[in-house]
Amino acid sequence: MTTSRQPPQELAASLLAAALLLPGVQALADEPPQNGSISLRYLDYADRQAGLERIRAHSPSVAVTAPVASDWSIEGTLTADDVSGASPRYHTAVSGASHMQDERKAGDVAVTRYFRRGTLTAGAAYSTEHDYVSRALSLNGTVSSEDNNTTWAFGLAGSRDSIDPVNHVVVDEHKRTVSVLAGVTRVLTPNDIGQLTLTRTNGDGYFNDPYKLFDNRPRSRRQNTVLLRWNHYVDATGGTTRLGYRYYSDSYRIRAHTLSGEYVQPLGGGWSVVPEVRLYTQSAAYFYYDPVYDGTLGPPFPPGFSSGAGPDRLSSPDQRLSGFGAVTVGLKVVREIGKLWTVDVKVEGYEQRGSWRLFHDGSPGLAPLHARMFQVGLTRRW
Amino acid sequence: MRALILIAPTLLALAGCATVQPWEKGKLAKPEMTFGGDKLDTRYADHVYTSREAASGGAGVGGGGCGCN
Repeated sequence: MTTSRQPPQELAASLLAAALLLPGVQALADEPPQNGSISLRYLDYADRQAGLERIRAHSPSVAVTAPVASDWSIEGTLTADDVSGASPRYHTAVSGASHMQDERKAGDVAVTRYFRRGTLTAGAAYSTEHDYVSRALSLNGTVSSEDNNTTWAFGLAGSRDSIDPVNHVVVDEHKRTVSVLAGVTRVLTPNDIGQLTLTRTNGDGYFNDPYKLFDNRPRSRRQNTVLLRWNHYVDATGGTTRLGYRYYSDSYRIRAHTLSGEYVQPLGGGWSVVPEVRLYTQSAAYFYYDPVYDGTLGPPFPPGFSSGAGPDRLSSPDQRLSGFGAVTVGLKVVREIGKLWTVDVKVEGYEQRGSWRLFHDGSPGLAPLHARMFQVGLTRRW
Repeated sequence: MRALILIAPTLLALAGCATVQPWEKGKLAKPEMTFGGDKLDTRYADHVYTSREAASGGAGVGGGGCGCN
């Protein structure tokens, strides 16, 4: 019997060449999509508090991704939000809640150029509501190491929003933001990949909610986020855990922690299930006032209003700026049909309570907010 | 400064990991191992949480604003 022997270097080169032919093993370096895809998705959202059905939204959307030539891709999305319902004018007061109906149309497009060890993406976004128009531009890029185990990301974006509330409390107001991003994604082991992303957003202009009473916020907002994500492939089950932690801080002195986790479990036959949980906690903005009102005038006047505390002082009775904690639980079921079709259904429940704030007491006196979300999605590749 | 104290060890830990060879990356190439996820699903989640909580963003820059917050 004869055995052919290869020199070690040749063997290693052959293994490397064979490995590189496997789909996706250059993992990490972004590559142009090999196929185009079109995705349709529909969201049915509803939230409520005790005694008040608040906001209901129906949101169909479509996304298209297509390779162009060999080194380019283009992608775009369109969304239409049909939003209606009621929202408290201060804190969670049911009496006098403002009723609204609006349709938001939003679209964005991004063009990506792929290089041997990096990408450059230019994007634009536009959305319009009857009282709000937003325009945004962005430039994002990635650079990968020679071994494709590390990818650095950077981004720069700007937006300009126009605000014309229907109650005319202000006319032709504006808000501008500039955001920067830096991040690194690193292959940790054959089963683990981690990512760290930092963002900073400087915003100037009109940040008030014009439909809330005594809502007078600073005209500048500085926001910072640190996001850590870690995906782990579980050999024993063939599933994947996807964990994330975000730390958020801003010039309103809000500090927030978000911990999220989901587990993707393939079941065979193209089926997979994805249970998820998300925990969130935030402190209150320094100008948020609890539902304790002026001793003479009562609700919704902030304390001290009747004794001459300036009407222009910073204040907000917005529940979203209070201190609270929130929990989301959800389940997604996905079915791959052949190589070309994917269908999924997702159900989520969300609850927000002052008493669920972690580390400190939450803001008192607010009704818990409940929300439920239902999604169905369909993707076709070609 | 405090953020840097938290971030620096993470960067060092990420940078110090052993090199994974190309032929060991089969599992990493699975769609669920990427950080992108379903774009529209992610977009919905961002929109819902941005309209109900004070914190926002973190994973990217470039989206427009809305009157929801």
